[in-house]
Amino acid sequence: MSPNLLDVENVNKIFTMGGLISRTVNHAVNDVSFSLAADKPEVFTIIGESGSGKTTLAGMILNSLAPTSGRILFQGRDLRDVRSRRDRLAFMSHVQAIFQNPFDAFNPLKRVDRYLFSAAQRFTESRTTEEAAERADEALRKVGLSLIEIRGRYPHEMSGGQLQRVAIARALVSNPSLIVADEPVSMIDASLRMTVINLFKKLRDEIGVSIIYITHDLATAYYISDRLIIMQKGKIVEGGDARTVLAAPQHPYSIKLRQAVLSVDNAWRDEPFADTIPAVVT
Amino acid sequence: MITELRPIPPSVELKAPQTAPLLTVDRLKAYYKTQLFGVDREVRAVDDVSLKINRNEIYGLAGESSSGKSSLIKTIAGAIRPPFRVVEGSVRFNFKDGERDIYKLSPQELSAIRWSHLSYIMQGSMSVLNPVRRIKHAFADFALPHVSVKGADFTRLVERHLKRVHLDPAVLQAYPHELSGGMRQRVTIALATVCSPEFIIADEPTTALDVIVQKGVLSMVREIQQELGSSVLFVTHDMAVHANLTDRLGIMYAGRLVEEGRTRDVFKKPLHPYTAHLISSLPRIGDEAPKKGLEGSPPSLADPPSGCRFHPRCPLAIDICHREAPQMVEILPGHRAACHVAQADPTRVEAVA
Repeated sequence: MSPNLLDVENVNKIFTMGGLISRTVNHAVNDVSFSLAADKPEVFTIIGESGSGKTTLAGMILNSLAPTSGRILFQGRDLRDVRSRRDRLAFMSHVQAIFQNPFDAFNPLKRVDRYLFSAAQRFTESRTTEEAAERADEALRKVGLSLIEIRGRYPHEMSGGQLQRVAIARALVSNPSLIVADEPVSMIDASLRMTVINLFKKLRDEIGVSIIYITHDLATAYYISDRLIIMQKGKIVEGGDARTVLAAPQHPYSIKLRQAVLSVDNAWRDEPFADTIPAVVT
Repeated sequence: MITELRPIPPSVELKAPQTAPLLTVDRLKAYYKTQLFGVDREVRAVDDVSLKINRNEIYGLAGESSSGKSSLIKTIAGAIRPPFRVVEGSVRFNFKDGERDIYKLSPQELSAIRWSHLSYIMQGSMSVLNPVRRIKHAFADFALPHVSVKGADFTRLVERHLKRVHLDPAVLQAYPHELSGGMRQRVTIALATVCSPEFIIADEPTTALDVIVQKGVLSMVREIQQELGSSVLFVTHDMAVHANLTDRLGIMYAGRLVEEGRTRDVFKKPLHPYTAHLISSLPRIGDEAPKKGLEGSPPSLADPPSGCRFHPRCPLAIDICHREAPQMVEILPGHRAACHVAQADPTRVEAVA
């Protein structure tokens, strides 16, 4: 049996602050386990409010933080062993990240195509500029852009949605098998949000990339995810098939979270208007 | 503490305005004008916007970033600096002690209105509150010049207000970093309402918050508004918040108001294709139908498209949309929209949604 794409096994992360006298301990991630299968690409969602440890968990999956205990295996290999420069580059070409605010992720003084070229030179076999440009163009086409459109442009010349798509294209240059997206749409305008969300769906279905989608927005989570976990204070309180969990949450915290979602349908529940909209699952 | 998390739903019956509207914005044009090496550049952030806000209502303003909604509220608050200027039009408030035109007031008169009649809830609570001063000092900094009481009386006034908004007066002793994000945002709301203002501008007060905290903060806004009987101009791009909180809703696109009506009517029967898209693309739990994103990108306000500014992205665009900018017209009772297609046949817009 081939190893899973990703195994997270009983991972803990403890941050300690202060010295000998006043020490505070923050158990950011507490005994978290889950795994993603290698042969079945999926959108795996991590839901939690701020301080629930979801970003810390993402940091550990990206191998930029080491777990205090427990282990993370990527394609059967413990991330602790990924140390040398060559191993790290190989790992990075398989696992890529997308962050919340594209305007923070790109240097405002650097043209956006530079990022694509340097990713192409580092992670693919392209030796020449033409080859790198070709790889960049290939990745951009997957996200519905093209190199001609973005060549020579600076971040401020693009809309948030476009820039976020460039960030996704940059992540795709190395043909990764896993993308970790930390709140990728919370800074994007409503009219462009669905474009990015639909793109994740397309990547999963057409290119076969697995996506770890981190969010606190239950509605988009319901829309794209296959499986999800809900985290509270570092612990997984509930997990499973996305539709099942969100339709009928069991844990008190998930129920609270589900009830806190502002729904357009519920706003006028006791009025005739409510009938014209699909029934709400409660 | 607020334990009940459910926001009070928008009132169902349309409140007939008994008196003149509290705020009248009339054909307001405000541009960023810069001159660099002899080249004039004009960014039309607010272009010909007219709206009225009645007493005792929450008016929602929706629109994406760079649609001019922040510029509009800055203009309404009279808080603009060059190169941003009001080119035409007026902003008039009809306060209880007399009518005032914001752009005919002296700076002294303007600052007398601030906080006591007109206040502002801002987005980033951490940048509103001074990190090295306790909350009680923040109250003194903001509100003391605007009330007639001093010393212990002032402290009593603040404590009474905090109790009214269900906050423990113990927060007065705290520093901002000691409070959670939701608590800090509640403090800034308390800060903005301590002088019982008649008009409150809320600029994305819940955007940075989590779902659970957001619901609590929204119900606090609603509760205070009802208690004080003031009007709130609530700005956010989150349509679900508008559905649950606001009485009337205005939609902005590229510096123009494109649709306005009772929130319920706007959601039920959008008259502008942009609004129709915003509503139909909202993901809902329980709804698995694929949602489409809007094609194209938001227009640049320095060089807006000709005619209707939405036409390059509009699925319904016809010939006239390329040439003529549509005016805001009352198509249904109390429901205005600026769209050529809807003005000819309001049912066509529903079909896109």
